[in-house]
Amino acid sequence: MKKLLLICLCFSLLSWKPSINLSKLSKAKKGLELVSGAAHKISEEEEYYVGRAVAANILSQYPLWKNSEVTRYLNLIGKVLVLKSARPEIFAGYHFSLLDSNEANAFSAPGGIILLTRGIVAMAENEDELAAILAHEIQHVVTKDPLKAIKSQRLKALGTFAAGEAIGSSNQVLNIFQDSVLDISGTLLQKGYSRKQEKNADLQALDLLAATGYDPRALLAMLQKVKAIEKKKAKAFSAHPSASKRIAYVEKHLATGSLKGGDSSRLARFKRFVSRHRN
Amino acid sequence: MKKKIWLLGFFVVSAMLLAGKVLVVKVMRSNLLSKPDFLSGSLAPIQKGAKLELIETQGNWYLVRNAVGLKGYIHQTAVGESKTSLSGIMPGKKGASDDELALAAKGFNEGNEKKLRGSKDYNFADVDWIMDWNIANAALAAFIREGKLK
Repeated sequence: MKKLLLICLCFSLLSWKPSINLSKLSKAKKGLELVSGAAHKISEEEEYYVGRAVAANILSQYPLWKNSEVTRYLNLIGKVLVLKSARPEIFAGYHFSLLDSNEANAFSAPGGIILLTRGIVAMAENEDELAAILAHEIQHVVTKDPLKAIKSQRLKALGTFAAGEAIGSSNQVLNIFQDSVLDISGTLLQKGYSRKQEKNADLQALDLLAATGYDPRALLAMLQKVKAIEKKKAKAFSAHPSASKRIAYVEKHLATGSLKGGDSSRLARFKRFVSRHRN
Repeated sequence: MKKKIWLLGFFVVSAMLLAGKVLVVKVMRSNLLSKPDFLSGSLAPIQKGAKLELIETQGNWYLVRNAVGLKGYIHQTAVGESKTSLSGIMPGKKGASDDELALAAKGFNEGNEKKLRGSKDYNFADVDWIMDWNIANAALAAFIREGKLK
């Protein structure tokens, strides 16, 4: 019995953790992590609130097209893709909607709010091409590209507040929140992501399309349409690298990979969608 | 009597050592699923902050047990590791988590969104319209079948 007691005591000691309050230390550590770590240290919930504000900012500049049937169709395609993505669960789920603009563009806000203009949707000739646009935008959310647009100095300041090294007034914190939102909106609407980020989103979109049964070549078809528009100097995918460069690496990936095409069974429902989209 | 105390101590310590890792739900809402598949049946809805005991890992999925002992699957992207002990799983635990405290200290929260509402530069009414869209699992499964998708 004494041996048993000794064993119990040993296990207890092994599983014991000091009960001293290390909250200050952990807060300081969290602050330092924010200073050095950038976007990946932002929690799911914070990403959600930043994303809502970014989307709200975009929606103050572009009118939303509140067509229930078309929005539902877009959400169905988007959700199919999300389930096979590397980040299927996100704080409040992914949501897809349309902007009432003839400009050809698409935006992915943090937290999974993805907005497509009617102009870019009108360029799609089948469901797979529509899925290709969505897959590209989903991949930006998966890799948290929008969050990476926040200038590091803002995260440093917030990290300092979190570490308790300084107490920011509510106005200071609100200003950092707004500036962070504008960093992202500016990147989405004007500046654009880096070429590396765009390339990653394109290549991962090909894999995502294949994983869901959509034809990855649909992305190539969309890029060729974008290239044709670029020649006319229209504002198409203005925040992206040139379509020619994107076509080159997408073609290379398709040629070397083992990606398989989809089929035409989705054409009927796409035609129904088009008839509603054009009304 | 002494023998009973030793035995009790032994069982308590053994339970502590055998207890699985504790996971905490980090998304607003999810489901405890009957299979490691998003389109499988939901056994119970799960809210943010719920603690789950990890039983085993299957690819990107976790087999877990919730506070009432129900076993089911959850995708790994819906949860994070909890810093609290297994006792945190028990119902009735109150108080903010470490993450909630950190969030309150920073600026990316509901409070600051409220301050931006009403500004001409932010259209939150349309964001709410977008966020109200939800697709039921049955509709999604039918859409996948009809389109011969995976």
